[in-house]
Amino acid sequence: MKKMLFPVLLIAALLLSGCGGQTPPEAVPSEGGQPAAEAVELKFMLWGAPEELAVWNAIVDEFQAQNPGIKVNVEVSDWTAYWEKLKTMLAAGTPPDLFAMDAPYYLDYQTRGVLKNLQPYVDANPDMLQGVYPQTLEAYKTAGGYFGLPRDFQTIVLFYNKDMFDKAGVAYPTADWTYDDLRQASKDLTMDTNGDGVADQYGFTADLWDMELAWSSAIWAHGGDILSADHTQTLIGEPAARQAWQVFHDMMFQDKSMPDVNTAASYGLDLFQAGIAAMTPIGHWAVPGYNAANFQWDVAPMPKGPAGSATSVNSAGFVVAEASEHPEEAFEFIKFVLSQSGQTRLTELGFAIPVLKSVAESPVFLEQQGTTINQQAFLDSLAFAHMKPVFKGYDEWSAAVGDGMIPIWTGEAELNATLDEIVKAADEVLSKNK
Amino acid sequence: MEAGLKPKGRERLTLWLMLTPTLIGLTFGVLGSILATLVLSFTKWDLLTPPQWTGLSNYVALFTDQKFSRALLNTFKFSALYVPSVIVVSLLVAILLNRKIRGLGAFRTIYFLPAVTSAVAAALVWNMIFAKDTGILNAIIGVFGGSRLCWICSDHILTSVLIVNVWGAIGEGMIIFLAGLTAIPREYYEAAAIDGANEVRKFFRITLPLITPSIFFMTIIATINAFQAYDYIYMLTRRGQGDSSFPVIVYSIYRNAWNFFNYGGASAQAIELAILVIALMGLYFWLERRYVFYE
Amino acid sequence: MNRKPMTLQRQKLLLDIVTYSVLVLGAILMLGPFLWMVSTSFKLPADQFGHSLIPPTPTLQNFQALFAVDIGYPNLFFNSTYISLLITAGQILTCAMAAFCFAVVHFRGRDLLFTLLLVTLMIPAQVTLIPNFIIFKWLHLIGTAVPLWLPAFWGGAFGTFLLRQYFLTVPRELVDASRIDGASLFQIFWKVYLPLAKPALAALAIFTFQGAWNDLLHPLIYLPGVPNTTLTVGLAFFQQQLILGGKYTVLMAGALTSILPLLLVFLVAQKQFIEGIALTGVKR
Repeated sequence: MKKMLFPVLLIAALLLSGCGGQTPPEAVPSEGGQPAAEAVELKFMLWGAPEELAVWNAIVDEFQAQNPGIKVNVEVSDWTAYWEKLKTMLAAGTPPDLFAMDAPYYLDYQTRGVLKNLQPYVDANPDMLQGVYPQTLEAYKTAGGYFGLPRDFQTIVLFYNKDMFDKAGVAYPTADWTYDDLRQASKDLTMDTNGDGVADQYGFTADLWDMELAWSSAIWAHGGDILSADHTQTLIGEPAARQAWQVFHDMMFQDKSMPDVNTAASYGLDLFQAGIAAMTPIGHWAVPGYNAANFQWDVAPMPKGPAGSATSVNSAGFVVAEASEHPEEAFEFIKFVLSQSGQTRLTELGFAIPVLKSVAESPVFLEQQGTTINQQAFLDSLAFAHMKPVFKGYDEWSAAVGDGMIPIWTGEAELNATLDEIVKAADEVLSKNK
Repeated sequence: MEAGLKPKGRERLTLWLMLTPTLIGLTFGVLGSILATLVLSFTKWDLLTPPQWTGLSNYVALFTDQKFSRALLNTFKFSALYVPSVIVVSLLVAILLNRKIRGLGAFRTIYFLPAVTSAVAAALVWNMIFAKDTGILNAIIGVFGGSRLCWICSDHILTSVLIVNVWGAIGEGMIIFLAGLTAIPREYYEAAAIDGANEVRKFFRITLPLITPSIFFMTIIATINAFQAYDYIYMLTRRGQGDSSFPVIVYSIYRNAWNFFNYGGASAQAIELAILVIALMGLYFWLERRYVFYE
Repeated sequence: MNRKPMTLQRQKLLLDIVTYSVLVLGAILMLGPFLWMVSTSFKLPADQFGHSLIPPTPTLQNFQALFAVDIGYPNLFFNSTYISLLITAGQILTCAMAAFCFAVVHFRGRDLLFTLLLVTLMIPAQVTLIPNFIIFKWLHLIGTAVPLWLPAFWGGAFGTFLLRQYFLTVPRELVDASRIDGASLFQIFWKVYLPLAKPALAALAIFTFQGAWNDLLHPLIYLPGVPNTTLTVGLAFFQQQLILGGKYTVLMAGALTSILPLLLVFLVAQKQFIEGIALTGVKR
């Protein structure tokens, strides 16, 4: 008996692996549009949730039906895994032909020469960018032209818990709200519901690590900026920006209507979704998840500051590897995703907003899956949206700022002096990444 | 241990044939991990453009990098507590589960469960357990009249991280010690019983000395695991989108390699980590010669 | 009755009471977080933050959600199984051979080789990933499962070290006796050491299978992706739910789903420990 264990294991494994070789290796079932023998195979990688695989396969099927000479193999991974896999493949010189790009990282890749210049292809298709929101194209423009194109975008809006507002008798946020209104409402919504002397319902919560969710919008609304136009100087320590930081600092430590990072983390979950915070600024990607929440909620534009309304716009897009042997075919696919039918399919997922105006302003987006929230607010926000900065060294810079600010948001460090240090550290990162 | 079996004649060939897989593995392992990491640690490499030779600059940078020193300190603090905790707790569990008792299989399975659970899912559950207002842990403390703690704040984060990591490692330790315990011949205990030795004496006279090879193994493996601990710690301590309130070395390595386009710097950190662990191993092997008992 | 057995019996009773109390208390601590996971996986997403251990409205919808998205489960399960089995078989064979040499046989360069082997454990996988990937790229093996299981047939520091420690405890008289009987080196390994090492081999099998089954990084990098990848990679997909405004319930359901095969392996392998207890002493 005992001597059998190992041989049995080995034989079983070998038998199984033998069968493994016989299972069809095709990743993408391509019924109907059976590619011709000489079909070009494209490897297409992106990040996303499992649901997205089905949508992308549907888009690919439709594309292949129209382009019988091209076969697209889709690989979807989750966000973290995606970047690890992509960088490994690029480092080894075996990148996918076509892959997804988040705009802030774009220059990290573009400046290192791993992306194909798409400008000649765009020039050859003069109509293809018509009807695409110009704000979403901005990020991909370089001196040498487009090295990538957007597929969908995110504007940040204020999500609010209607049940909490009703219960506290506070009026819902409107497009005319200022940061003062936000502060007041947040105060009114903060309460101690179980009577133990400590607040357990907060008016407002926001992730203050990354710029996208809250602080970039606040700085712009106060007339400040994040970086100088040439990406050599960090401007988050300028007087206007300091006013914006002060708003959050006051809400956290004076009004105590916003949990500090330790308190927020101590709940171990998404405070808005868990019904602990009444308002939070976030993008459309949160909508499908929040739909499962057991309370009524809606969205409103971000508040106004002394310099008017402001929010952040960021887009996800596609790039083609410089090493790809089939750039024409890869570009064909990008073109298809930017077309009416491609964009319509993509919108059905519910995570993002289509870049094609005609699709975004149609029921496909506005009445998505019978949603009752104010989808229009995401589109209206574009009018005053600033592009989330795109620059080389984005991750390292974000870490210098985000990590550096943490002691402020735990209450251990003083705001202004710490900001001075952070600006210095962040500028060093910029000069390193020139 | 000193003498060993001497291969005779054609047995030399047998010996090297038996070692061949390991030798191939060593070649690739050394090529792929040690040499490559060492060479890359002397370069500036962003993964996308060819590496540039920069000599010792990555190592020099480590001395001024406050984030790295903080990660180093955290790793040491964590390891110093983790290694003894895991060994003591899993040895205790293994000894109890080496007795002939009812429900042995069920108990062993329960103690092994955390080891097979996905670290991400388990860390999420622990986050819920540690939660300040809503967590079970604080509720239990409340029942006994204690005051609620912020388990993931800086004062208690080390304790919390330790609890979860030990919880996750008991299963592995238990199995290693169970394997070691089953190797102790019954007759030793029977002989001791005839001499009238009680259980405590049996433990210190027989079990403990004879289990030292397993303890030695666990010490080495637990040390390596402690210095490379990452999953649970990151999931428990992440704040915001990329920060960790308890950064450890591997977190620093990960971030440099995969987020900051600084694979060369990450390699230098990995080499420094390896040197530290190797130094500790040297100490362990020196102790082995004095205290570990082999047949 | 004389007095001696009485005290021994009392001692045993006392020891049993202590054993059970400690074990039950420990089991509760070990099981607590796990039960919470099970409970969450049967909750509605709306109830996921509630404090009750029993789901207010028990539902199977999380498991349905998991299987509603077709990521090719049968294929993923199949891949995970054969890859993990191959890895386990490879490790047991090659580590046992090497461990025997390192523990029992006397040869030049033994300590140096063993030290070198241990050193390979010291460098974290996060930095060796790319060099190893490049080696397999030279061998034209990217996109296949070979880079996942082939290294298992090259031995390994962990397994070799584990078995070496075990082999070192085997009484020397057994080797001497076999030598007198004219047994060869390989015969001593195969007929004396391997059978005695069943508990340690079982332990290594458990660890290896578990490590292979749960490995996320390597299948992710080397395999082409869903559905031609492993179950762990497929299920890790659902962790995306965390970023997208948490459906923790589905995540927990996914985590539970992947545990069952591991428990099965554990239950089968741990029988070896019990046999080990019964065997020890009798055979020596």
